[in-house]
Amino acid sequence: MIKAAPGPEGTPAAAPVALAKCTSYDEDVTARLAAMFGQLGGLDRIVRGKTVTIKLNMTGSPGLRVDGRPPGVTHYVHPKLVGATAHLMGQAGARRIRFVESAWATSGPLEEYLLDSGWNVRQLLAAAPGVEFENTNALGKGKQYARFKVPGGGYLFPAYDLNHSYEDTDVFVSMAKLKNHATCGVTLSMKNCFGMLPASIYGDDAGVDAPNENPTSGRLATMHEGRRQPSKSAPAELDPSSSREPEYRVPHIVADLVKSRPIDLQIIDGIESIAGGEGPWIKGIRRVQPGVLLAGLNPVSTDAVAAAVMGYDPRAARGTAPFRTCENTLLLAERHGVGSADLRKIDVRGVPIAGAMFRYES
Amino acid sequence: MMLRTAAWVAILSATPLLAVIAPPSGWVPARWDGTDAKSLDILAGTPINCLLVTSYAPEFVSSATARGIATLAVLKPGADPADPARKAIRAGLQGVVMEGDFATGTAARVRDMLAGEHATVVELTSRARMPLGGPDPIVGTYQGVWPGIQVLDNGAAKAAPSGSPWIDTNTGFIRSVRAWGPASVWLGYLPPAHSVVTGERYEAAIADAEMAGARWIVALDDDFFGRLGRGDAAALKTWRGMAQVLQFFESHSEWRGLRSYGKLAVVQDHEDALLSGGILDMIAAKHTPMRAIPGQRLTPDALQGATMAVDVDAASLTPEQREMLKNFARAGGTVLTAPPGWKGQSVLQPGQITLDTAELDRLNDIWHDVQTMTGRKNLGARLFNVSSMLSNVLTADNGKQVVVELVNYSAYPIENVSVQVLGTFKHAQLITPEGVQKDLEVYVTDEGGTGVDIDRVSACATVRLD
Repeated sequence: MIKAAPGPEGTPAAAPVALAKCTSYDEDVTARLAAMFGQLGGLDRIVRGKTVTIKLNMTGSPGLRVDGRPPGVTHYVHPKLVGATAHLMGQAGARRIRFVESAWATSGPLEEYLLDSGWNVRQLLAAAPGVEFENTNALGKGKQYARFKVPGGGYLFPAYDLNHSYEDTDVFVSMAKLKNHATCGVTLSMKNCFGMLPASIYGDDAGVDAPNENPTSGRLATMHEGRRQPSKSAPAELDPSSSREPEYRVPHIVADLVKSRPIDLQIIDGIESIAGGEGPWIKGIRRVQPGVLLAGLNPVSTDAVAAAVMGYDPRAARGTAPFRTCENTLLLAERHGVGSADLRKIDVRGVPIAGAMFRYES
Repeated sequence: MMLRTAAWVAILSATPLLAVIAPPSGWVPARWDGTDAKSLDILAGTPINCLLVTSYAPEFVSSATARGIATLAVLKPGADPADPARKAIRAGLQGVVMEGDFATGTAARVRDMLAGEHATVVELTSRARMPLGGPDPIVGTYQGVWPGIQVLDNGAAKAAPSGSPWIDTNTGFIRSVRAWGPASVWLGYLPPAHSVVTGERYEAAIADAEMAGARWIVALDDDFFGRLGRGDAAALKTWRGMAQVLQFFESHSEWRGLRSYGKLAVVQDHEDALLSGGILDMIAAKHTPMRAIPGQRLTPDALQGATMAVDVDAASLTPEQREMLKNFARAGGTVLTAPPGWKGQSVLQPGQITLDTAELDRLNDIWHDVQTMTGRKNLGARLFNVSSMLSNVLTADNGKQVVVELVNYSAYPIENVSVQVLGTFKHAQLITPEGVQKDLEVYVTDEGGTGVDIDRVSACATVRLD
């Protein structure tokens, strides 16, 4: 069992988290998810008649593979899980289901990015009425960027300019992979939201004054390392003299983002994944089969349970796995008042953590 | 690589007696160091019908001839090839292969000497010295890159600027050579030394050449050849896989005669085009169908059906050829001309088959412009989930039939490949070396073309649309 540190008095409220075993994508993933949503009080009350925007976790170019395997069984969320989610949301009465991701180094249609990932777009479109896609790496189908202020002030930026999809929605869902992250320790529902940042503004080839609507780079120099500033059209960094260390910056930015754009529902794919990093470009990664699914209604609580399932203390301080070299995003988000990472407060429904634990490190 | 007689295992026993030797254009070549006639048993069931040998015995030669297998003696520079060539023909071999860069005029002298003997002389030269556009039925080179995905020291695939792994390939080179004429193109490079070469890599070497219309001279590493001779089950399985890929392409030799369906023409000085890793391979890595046109072969016919042209080396064109490109533009085509003074490799060096770093840096300028010009346009076909593959898009009957060839360079099958072809087609069929011939559902793409989805591609596959 994880020795999780208790949270301080007065930490934000927790929310229930559904945890299920699912050993293969060939199992009835739809039924598993339906049961989990039921444990959370039902999907209807969340999505009926609503526009739902689902941020997919598709980090890095679809051309880069782990051992040549489809990215859905390694570092991307799996398309079967995505299709099952769309189907259930359609059944629950969602009016529109919009899948979004800031596709790596391109502002082309997200559908093409999905095809390049080996996903069947036509099947996804048929999974439910009103399915659509948007690449949020630039302006996309919107006319202007939406500005998300960080309530109470941000850690690094006071506000972030994002694609309209993150604003033009009633429900926002983060669908993430259960995996490590070289810069943040873990990639879970909150870290997934780092990918909301459009490279047109926050990318390494972003325009200096205005967004570059045809970005072809990632965000390493601008956001990870702070070697350049985002386009001047977006709010500037609060303190350009602050640490330029990626392991400091990225967790703080993620905490800012999830504070400014609340995540209503989190779904974490831990059926098959990778350990040791977030993608094939990280040395030493390995494929794993934790065989779990998580869903929750508060990102800090959901990620806390997910971290515990991975064998980590979700409240671990910097210097302790998985946050050996980085800040703990969960605690930063908790400090922002987003939710509680205190396992004692979280109602885990379905399988107990001990019954689903898959240690990412021995 | 000598094979022990007693150890040979017959794969198939039925071998036709006194089979007919195919004409040189139909030769499917392999290097063969086994001088024991029993070693020929292993070729049963494969399309290989031409062996390049460095030594030979009468029984071996007669046995090969009886099986319809041509034998060619490999001669290397260093000694006068006349005597060994004469000796080989007298011993019943069908010809000689002059492998290496012989002194100028040597090959012609050997040909003259063998005139009247019905012997074939094949030159395997450096790329720089290939006799392009000549009358020889076969042109070849001993040089080539070993096809496959480049791998970093830590085991991860090398990421190209596109974010996809870079695939070493000879296809750009082959396209350029084939633009010079109808001769069969042979690639005689060897497997990398001191490496474990898997079956997938051998299959990729075969398919890399065949997809572009050439033939790799099958060459097995010593260990594999030895295990094959001993009847090792794993080696035999690998060999059967290779034979399957060879048979796949030989069963569809009509594909070699098809034209490129690519709407993008790349006009390039032939010396630049003979280097691997250049603009042709970069465009191929983006799966943009294209036709290679050596500057010296630029004609209005070569540009027919193209909508875009990249003029990589404007200075090498004649005034008439420049006028052709102007007319192409006047007729609505888009022409991208390299910056004035831009020139790749000035003189192709015999030992060089890839671009050096400085040349790659220079190429980046024009590559950026090519990418901007082509963008996401469908210039014949667009392919998805193909980062570990290369493709060739060909057409027959003026676009009424399109053939999309796919080669997978990874060690894993790729699932869920999508192909979106320009034009309207009612039928599509998937054809694979494993014997699959399956009708595919066709659908109309967003841009009005024809789309098909392929469940799985192992070593290679072809989609034929009508």
